[in-house]
Amino acid sequence: MSLTPALELKGVRKVYDVAGQEVVALDHADLVVGADEIVVLVGPSGSGKTTLCSIAGALLSASEGTVIVDGNDITSFNAKQLTTFRRNKVGFVFQTVNLVPFLTARENLLVVDELAGRSGNRKAALKRADQLLGELGLADRRNNLPSQLSGGQRQRVAIGRSLMNNPGLVMFDEPTSALDSKTGEHVVDLIHHEMKERGTAAIIVTHDTRITKFADRTVRIDDGVVST
Amino acid sequence: MNITLREMRRSWGRFVLLAGSVTLLAFLILFQQAIQDGLITAFIGAIRNQNAPVLVYSLEGQRTPQASFLSPQQVKDISSVPGVGITARVQQSTYSVKVAGSDVDDASVIGTADPRLFFPRQLSQGRSPSAPDEAIGSSDFNLGDVVEIIPSPRGTPMSVKVVGIAENVRLYVTATLFTDIDTSTRIAQAYNPNTPAGLTNVVALIPDKGLDADELTESINSSVDDVDALTREQAAATAPGVAQVVQSFQVIFLLYALVVPLVTGLFFLILTLQKAQALTLLRAMGAQPSFLARSLLIQAAVVLIAGISIAVLLFLPLSQGGLGGLLSFNGRTVATWSAVLMTLGLASTAASLRMVLRIDPIKATAPGIEI
Ligand SMILES: Nc1ncnc2c1ncn2[C@@H]1O[C@H](COP(=O)(O)OP(=O)(O)OP(=O)(O)O)[C@@H](O)[C@H]1O
Ligand SMILES: [Mg+2]
Repeated sequence: MSLTPALELKGVRKVYDVAGQEVVALDHADLVVGADEIVVLVGPSGSGKTTLCSIAGALLSASEGTVIVDGNDITSFNAKQLTTFRRNKVGFVFQTVNLVPFLTARENLLVVDELAGRSGNRKAALKRADQLLGELGLADRRNNLPSQLSGGQRQRVAIGRSLMNNPGLVMFDEPTSALDSKTGEHVVDLIHHEMKERGTAAIIVTHDTRITKFADRTVRIDDGVVST
Repeated sequence: MNITLREMRRSWGRFVLLAGSVTLLAFLILFQQAIQDGLITAFIGAIRNQNAPVLVYSLEGQRTPQASFLSPQQVKDISSVPGVGITARVQQSTYSVKVAGSDVDDASVIGTADPRLFFPRQLSQGRSPSAPDEAIGSSDFNLGDVVEIIPSPRGTPMSVKVVGIAENVRLYVTATLFTDIDTSTRIAQAYNPNTPAGLTNVVALIPDKGLDADELTESINSSVDDVDALTREQAAATAPGVAQVVQSFQVIFLLYALVVPLVTGLFFLILTLQKAQALTLLRAMGAQPSFLARSLLIQAAVVLIAGISIAVLLFLPLSQGGLGGLLSFNGRTVATWSAVLMTLGLASTAASLRMVLRIDPIKATAPGIEI
């Protein structure tokens, strides 16, 4: 197990310009997530949870501060470098759309491999996709299109997809908000299991207080200010 | 199989529909192009496919052999323009003719003083005339036909024997007979004994070695009064009726050629809008913009290649003698149109490409994605 933290945010600010007015989405945030730590991020709507995940997930550049993911300082990466980094180093389960509708469950996992251009090692990718789908209880649904899956099953495919590139850090942005409480708990249980199995770090954004029990640590965010 | 082709397979219906539209349009273009070529060949095949590189008409002749008359002085002046090599006087008249056992029809008799000039460049059967009253016929005739020229009330019947056949040498959609100028003069006088001998409709000529036909026509036009010297290609392209045919077909081609990129461009624009969420997700997962752009171009290329290829395959059998030989398969025309449609079709994806390249991956984190 590596001792390098999965994420280090140092004095990270994110400021949006909305019609000439500054909106501070993240205000000098400091956060360290250990190599295999599961952090639950809670806070009211608009407090900056998605913004924090986006910066940690190399989707967004910070206005100020330093961002180190898995030992890589990505603070000054350009768009192309961020894209490559996302592809190879981080996983993300988004708040809404997570699957490509015209690809089956298994193909949604394999596309991660295709994007990375690792077509030479297709056998290994197939094996890994099937293994992930098996762990997530989807072995018999791997040839179904997203439209043929339930919300919980779709969310499980998304988890598999986020793990396909063997990331050091995975962001889950409200992974259970669209699910009923029982399914939601099952999904979080799976996330917890998968992360611990692999020693992968995770940030789980949620409003659901029952989820916090799966966390190693809970972090609050209010008006862009992180308090640990 | 990669994501690009998988998408096409999963929603093959719409891609087949687009390819079908491309097929239809490409087929119509090829069909119309063949009809245009066929019509033009029927109009001026005799001029385009004869062996003299330069033809000289009289100015009043309006580029129609039968309406053009050159005086002996003009004929002499033309031959003495520097750069003019061998020349030949050419006569052309239209008669009612009859081949034993068939109906009376019109035929154009073209008589030349030199078989190296204004004779068909290629024979498909038989040989060139070697004796009086022999002729090369257009493919309306059969080898060995004895063609009777129906005389005017004061004339006497006369016939010529077809000893050679040439393809695509009709003139103004009538059959043609190529003879030497003595035979054509005898035919004219048999038809009407009052016809003077020594008439010249056109002078056909070959420039001296190394001289450009274009330059020579210019110097003939400037040094001989009231003549209209033209290269073979000019004479064919500017013959009365030809330009009008070409023009009306060009309007049709322009319309078709615009519809292809319109249909293709709109199709991919709608498709891109429809899958905006998926494209944004792919960008967020680490797809470079170039990956998505390439995918779009590959899809467009596959559809266009399929559509155009099927059109060519449909056109191929039809062009082998379809519409009584009016349609013919011209490889160069087919290749040119395929390239034009391919280029226009790919160019039409520009708007979709722009959209794809501008997708902001951060939108994947926001509920309700729009581009
Ligand atoms: N692209 C943007 N342009 C301008 N302001 C933005 C943008 N994205 C986010 N914001 C603002 O930044 C703040 C933080 O937004 P963020 O989406 O991170 O909140 P959140 O905690 O994820 O909220 P929720 O729980 O509703 O998802 C909000 O005030 C929001 O309006
Ligand atoms: Mg959010």
